[in-house]
Amino acid sequence: MQQRRDEILAKKAKLAELKRQRELRASQATARQSISSSELISPTPGRADNRREIESLINSLVGESRPVSVSTGANSPRRGSRPNSVLSAGELSIGNNSEFAAPANANGQVASSQPQVLSTSLRTVYECPPSPVKEVFSYSKGVQTTEEWTSPRKSHTLSESEDEEPPVTASPSKRLSRRQRDREQELRDSIRKEIEEELRAAKELVTDGVLKPSAAANFPARALTAEELKAVTQSEDFMDFIDRSTKVIEKALDQEYDILTDYTLQVHDIDDDDEQHGNTGGKGRRKVKEVAQFYDERWSKKRMISSIDFSPKFSELFLASYTKNPTAPHDPDGIVQVWNLHLHDRPEFVFHAQSDILTAKFSPFHPNLIIGGAYSGQVLLWDTRARAAPVQKTPLTGSGHTHPVYCVDIVGTQNANNIISCSTDGAVCGWTVDMLAQPQETMTLIAPLPAKVEDLSPLCMAFPQADPTFFLVGSEEGTIYPCHRYDRAGAKAGVDARVSYKGHAAPVVSVAFHPARGPVDLGDLVLSASLDWSVKLWKVRAPATTSAVVAAGGLGAASGETQVSPLLDFVREDVVYDAAWSPVKPGVFALVDGAGWLELWDITVETEEPVARISPSPRKDGRTMLSKSLNKVAWEPTEGKRLATGGIDGAVTLCEVGPDLGGKEGLKNEEWTMVKKLVNKIEAVGVNNATAM
Amino acid sequence: MSDPVLSAGPDMLEETLGRLSKKPGVRATLILDRASGAILKTSGQISSIRKTKAPASSLPAVGSFSNETSNNSANQDQGAEELASMVWNFVNTAGSLVQELDTEDEVKLLRLRTKKEEFVIVPDAKYLLIVIHDTSA
Repeated sequence: MQQRRDEILAKKAKLAELKRQRELRASQATARQSISSSELISPTPGRADNRREIESLINSLVGESRPVSVSTGANSPRRGSRPNSVLSAGELSIGNNSEFAAPANANGQVASSQPQVLSTSLRTVYECPPSPVKEVFSYSKGVQTTEEWTSPRKSHTLSESEDEEPPVTASPSKRLSRRQRDREQELRDSIRKEIEEELRAAKELVTDGVLKPSAAANFPARALTAEELKAVTQSEDFMDFIDRSTKVIEKALDQEYDILTDYTLQVHDIDDDDEQHGNTGGKGRRKVKEVAQFYDERWSKKRMISSIDFSPKFSELFLASYTKNPTAPHDPDGIVQVWNLHLHDRPEFVFHAQSDILTAKFSPFHPNLIIGGAYSGQVLLWDTRARAAPVQKTPLTGSGHTHPVYCVDIVGTQNANNIISCSTDGAVCGWTVDMLAQPQETMTLIAPLPAKVEDLSPLCMAFPQADPTFFLVGSEEGTIYPCHRYDRAGAKAGVDARVSYKGHAAPVVSVAFHPARGPVDLGDLVLSASLDWSVKLWKVRAPATTSAVVAAGGLGAASGETQVSPLLDFVREDVVYDAAWSPVKPGVFALVDGAGWLELWDITVETEEPVARISPSPRKDGRTMLSKSLNKVAWEPTEGKRLATGGIDGAVTLCEVGPDLGGKEGLKNEEWTMVKKLVNKIEAVGVNNATAM
Repeated sequence: MSDPVLSAGPDMLEETLGRLSKKPGVRATLILDRASGAILKTSGQISSIRKTKAPASSLPAVGSFSNETSNNSANQDQGAEELASMVWNFVNTAGSLVQELDTEDEVKLLRLRTKKEEFVIVPDAKYLLIVIHDTSA
């Protein structure tokens, strides 16, 4: 204890000592400064005195015939102005010290020789300690003389020719060697040189403003060597920066509206003739117009689009999943690109997978998560906050899928949701988002009895808005089957054998429930697209009442099965790859076909012909053959004004529809009742009569 | 699984910048170090940006170039350097303005529109990206 106290005391003493010393130093410094500042106020006499003193000293040392007029220089106008300039320059150098310090390094080699000469000559010449002013001055000299070495040389030669005459004519000194005298002269010259320099700098400062000379002096601090450049440009930080900043700049450049447009000046004709301009289809309020195409030279090349989905949170973002690029075996087979409406040439994000991605979807409950299904049977999960590789994926083992996964969905609520995936061997798995190592539930769909084989290969799957336990699958043989995830009254988990929706003669590639959000419930309407060149409209029986229907109708009592026929049949001229309901207009849907048409239908207006159609403009350097087929279509869910479509050529095309086909303004309740009435009428009259009406 | 984006580092860098400079109207791009102002990368016609020769460049002492005999590339370099220094000072001044308003704030984007062109500057903690493009196009 005692020892420790002693230690502390010793330390305290030391501290006090240090403090005292610092104070001493500080006071000395301030004294020096005050001297120099007093010099600033009344420069000429003190300076002249000082000079004279030095000169006399030098003369006494050198000892003879130096012309007095030159050395004192008090009378000549040029010399007279010099002390002022020195001081103003000195003042300047104090202010600019930090800025001048940087170039000092660059020219350090040259600069270092100068103070050395100075110090030696000072020591040899003066017996007495140099005056504080002189000291400050000589110090700043060492720092300041560094810039602009080419021009001083000129002035140096000039001054030499002027001043060197007296020493040359003078006889050699007795006590000092000629070399020392030369050195003396050199010092003098350099002082003058510097004064001139600073005078000029000061003048420039006054005329050009403060920033410019200092900027020129310290920029750049130094040029980087090739290795340094390489190190910097290859660092991860740098890549990251480039990635982020170029996105920002491309968005800035892609911004089409010029905020500085002055409409009072009618200089340029503002082309508002949309009718002729660009790629459009349909007329008037049912117009559809191509807005933009999205294609990335690096990643979209030679790939096909396998699915498109809009972000539920950010209406300007949408994703497209792609199959493999057969010409780039080293690139990842499957990719997902997230596109931004405001960024046309490159994706906002790119995600990779080792196998072709067949479907991908934003999680409706978490805007950062994207789920996908791969040809290898894996279900993958990406996070937009992470890198390109999936943050989670299912293992390639027997517990999950072993066949291609063409459909994934997330169902449930914000707090309790599951990923449901379905592969072409009929396996349906439920996963939790947190754990993809093992499925939470598995089920195999088997075709009901009258089918020749019990294999069922689903190509598409759809859940109704209201019920996460019931879904439809569209199969390869053309039948749409209702399925239950769990056992329920009257039905076992799996395919509901009592009802099937037969009508398509070729694989069903898409099924879609009506997004019921209106005054009339239309949630039981289903749209299906098939490779048999048709789209069909169905009315789906509610899962809970199927048993009641069967019991009451007894229609398929013999076979134990009810076959439901479609309400409406929309026959097209080519294979139809996708069909999607508008999220806001009850009677509107879009379909895409193998001929490259995007068609918009409104069943409240017309059931025989599309109300508008458009074919995305082909890419300039794209193939001419087999490049038009469109594979998928998706609506922007919140406004319902924009559609994205894409297909075999790998480009995503964004279209905007007129106010009668999309958008929330001018939405009428009658449209809902009109759809309902139409459906009721068809049900009452029968399919054939309805389509003939 | 290695990340292909990172492994293809230099390629991707070139490609990204190449695409950026190929955009219609883009005249030049410039990447600087934020702290020192050193030029890390340039592309495009930087010398065409500067229509007026500054008085400083006519002085013999600016830069380490032997002034009159400098060939085209040296001229380009010098042009880039001068432009870089001007932009760098501009960004720093803007940065200090923001710092004085709110010390926790920082500059995220600078768009300087002139009658003829626009400078889009993205300042970051370590680097600066500058793109100069025509606005008339």
